[in-house]
Amino acid sequence: MGVRRPTFIRLNPLHWPLALRVPALAVLMMVTVSAVVTDRVLTRLIDTQNRHLTELSDAYLDGVSSAVIPHVLREDVWEVYDALDRAAQRYEGLDIVWTTVVDPGGRVIASSRPRDFPLQTELPVPVRSRLNGASDSATNEDHGVFHVKRELKHQNRTIGAIYAEVRIGTLIEERKEVLATLIASNTALTLLFAIIGYIVVRRMMRPIRILSEHMRSGAEGSVAPVPAGLIGRPQSEFGQLFRRYNSLVEAVAERERLLKDLAEEERLAALGRLASGMAHEINNPIGGMLNAVDALKRHGDRTTVRATSIRLIERGLLGIRDIVRSSLATYRHRQAERPLTAADLDDLALLLQPEIKRKNLHLAWQNRVAREVSVPVGGVRDAALNLLLNACAATEPNGTVSFQAAATENGIELEVYDQGPGMQPAILDYINAPVAQPVPVSARSGLGLWMVKRFAHEVGGVLEATTSPCGGTSVRMKIPERKQPSTNTPELSHVA
Amino acid sequence: MPPFCALTRRQLLTAAPAAAAASIAGPIQAATRGIKFGLTPVFLSNDLELLDQLRTFLARRTGVEVVLVQRRTYEEITSLLVSGQLTAAWICGYPFVSYREELALVAVPVWRGRPLYQSYLIVDAARRASSLDDLEGDVHAFSDPNSNSGYLVTRAALANRQRRPEEFFRHSFFTYGHRNVVRAVASGLAQSGSVDGYVWEVISELEPELAGRTRVLEKSELLGFPPVACHRHLQDSPETLALKRALLDMNSDPLGAEVLKELRLDGFTDAKPSVFDGIAAKLALVRSLG
Repeated sequence: MGVRRPTFIRLNPLHWPLALRVPALAVLMMVTVSAVVTDRVLTRLIDTQNRHLTELSDAYLDGVSSAVIPHVLREDVWEVYDALDRAAQRYEGLDIVWTTVVDPGGRVIASSRPRDFPLQTELPVPVRSRLNGASDSATNEDHGVFHVKRELKHQNRTIGAIYAEVRIGTLIEERKEVLATLIASNTALTLLFAIIGYIVVRRMMRPIRILSEHMRSGAEGSVAPVPAGLIGRPQSEFGQLFRRYNSLVEAVAERERLLKDLAEEERLAALGRLASGMAHEINNPIGGMLNAVDALKRHGDRTTVRATSIRLIERGLLGIRDIVRSSLATYRHRQAERPLTAADLDDLALLLQPEIKRKNLHLAWQNRVAREVSVPVGGVRDAALNLLLNACAATEPNGTVSFQAAATENGIELEVYDQGPGMQPAILDYINAPVAQPVPVSARSGLGLWMVKRFAHEVGGVLEATTSPCGGTSVRMKIPERKQPSTNTPELSHVA
Repeated sequence: MPPFCALTRRQLLTAAPAAAAASIAGPIQAATRGIKFGLTPVFLSNDLELLDQLRTFLARRTGVEVVLVQRRTYEEITSLLVSGQLTAAWICGYPFVSYREELALVAVPVWRGRPLYQSYLIVDAARRASSLDDLEGDVHAFSDPNSNSGYLVTRAALANRQRRPEEFFRHSFFTYGHRNVVRAVASGLAQSGSVDGYVWEVISELEPELAGRTRVLEKSELLGFPPVACHRHLQDSPETLALKRALLDMNSDPLGAEVLKELRLDGFTDAKPSVFDGIAAKLALVRSLG
């Protein structure tokens, strides 16, 4: 049995198949883990970079401070500038943009970029405000620079300060590269895990899918065991599960066989009951005919007696012929099907007469089949007879059993109504179920319903039942017409 | 020239009274052993190889040990010289005329055929200025307060206008080196500077990129080239005489010629002190302003 693939995926993840949900969960987890790891790595990288930057800038400022302090004390502009100029070339670990030394009043003594920081001018406000207060460093990532400040102290007296701007573009680039690498590697890993997860889960779920498909097919009516080739290792969990399922399938099949046997037996029993009824029906005309024969023997020479006796014998034989014809048409073995006519259904009323009379019921018969309908004649007659017999059984004496039949556009529609106490809910559910289900066997239900339901399902028909709260049950059967009706075979040609 | 150890008896006898007189006159010790030759920043003192060549040349030609003495400022070298702690020194014309009574000429370098040079007033190459008057309110870089070309000439020019540097310029500072003046102006640290014309010309040849960032705004008249001078009491000492001969004959020695070539000098000459009269006049002008 092939594995059916999903034809569409619903938007709600809860409705996704496991083969998608598990990889999606793996992707979700990987994305979460990746985000956390990336955040941690970048945080650590930034911390490390900042620490190194601080250490390098501290070393730079230490060196510059010790170099410029004597010159600041002497207000030697040139030597301060020369020290800054030399220091900028010496500290290759730092990409120094500028270094500026100011006096305690914030006026520039000298700068490595004198054109930007002219002598005796105030340090630009943005730089001062960035390093205001207790902070000795500030990062301006938008401009890719890092500012540091160091106060110049001599004998516990502040004699000035050093400000420096360090370019950190390479550090930011490094962070971007690390981020890009992390995203690329994590994306690759996530996709890999998702693919592996999908393959593994799909492989793991394969036995479940096989079982699910078999059970779904079983629910639609054809229960079949899992082929041995799909079972895999018998000792595995799924191997044992498959074997148990196959045992269950065998049990169901056995049950169906038993039900068929029982149905056949019940059919034969009903035949016996009908046969006895028929014997009773035949016995009356035979008695009359024998009396007529006796009258003929004794007064056959009389014209009036002869004519009366022959009429009696003829009526008796005609009655017997009708009864035999109906029985033969109902219980003969199935032959090539012919279209159903109104007479095929009217015969059932004749067959039902013994049961009607036995229970003293009233039969309301309405047959509006005005054309030949290409439906299985025998099956329809069996089903209708079963429904009528069930209705007779359910209806109390002096009650009424109704029968209506009509040809529709697409086939034939029958309805049997009784005045019984109504069907049990389980039976109603069984009848109204869209597909064939195990019959809820009970003492009263018999197997007739099961046969009718099975027939309707086989020919694509519909069986519906409703029970009125005041009692009484209506069972409606719709049988669709076949596309190509079979050859019209005269069924009654052999009947005398 | 014979080495010092090979000096003739006559030379020694000639030198002896002078040495004795010097020892009586004060703490003159430079002549006792070897030669202590002072160098001021007028010289391109950043070339160590050149210094070593000069020392080697002088030692070989004089036959005595030569020690090159460098200090940061003119004043330090001048003090050492005037106090007799140096045999001789390459100083500027300004301290020479300032201590004319104490000092004597040993030799004067010859540059471009004459023992003369000029002071340059330089500004940024892109700056629009045509004279010293346009530099009012500048940050100005001087070389040394005892430098003729790097201070006295500009100060005298201002004195001619009845101005003083501290009020003419917004701010001025000393770099204690002519090359540093060029660097200061080229970098923008100073907007203008006073520099030795000889040094600027040599820099423009050796470091055209640096000098190219500056422009000569004004050149002074020709003035006496920074001389090699000694204490007057040591001018006839054997070491001084040996040094003088070595300098005057420098061109005849391959190593000496090499050093002169490096210095872009033609040689040394035995010039008269009157060469520095122009500088003396400027000094007098400045002093007259108070």
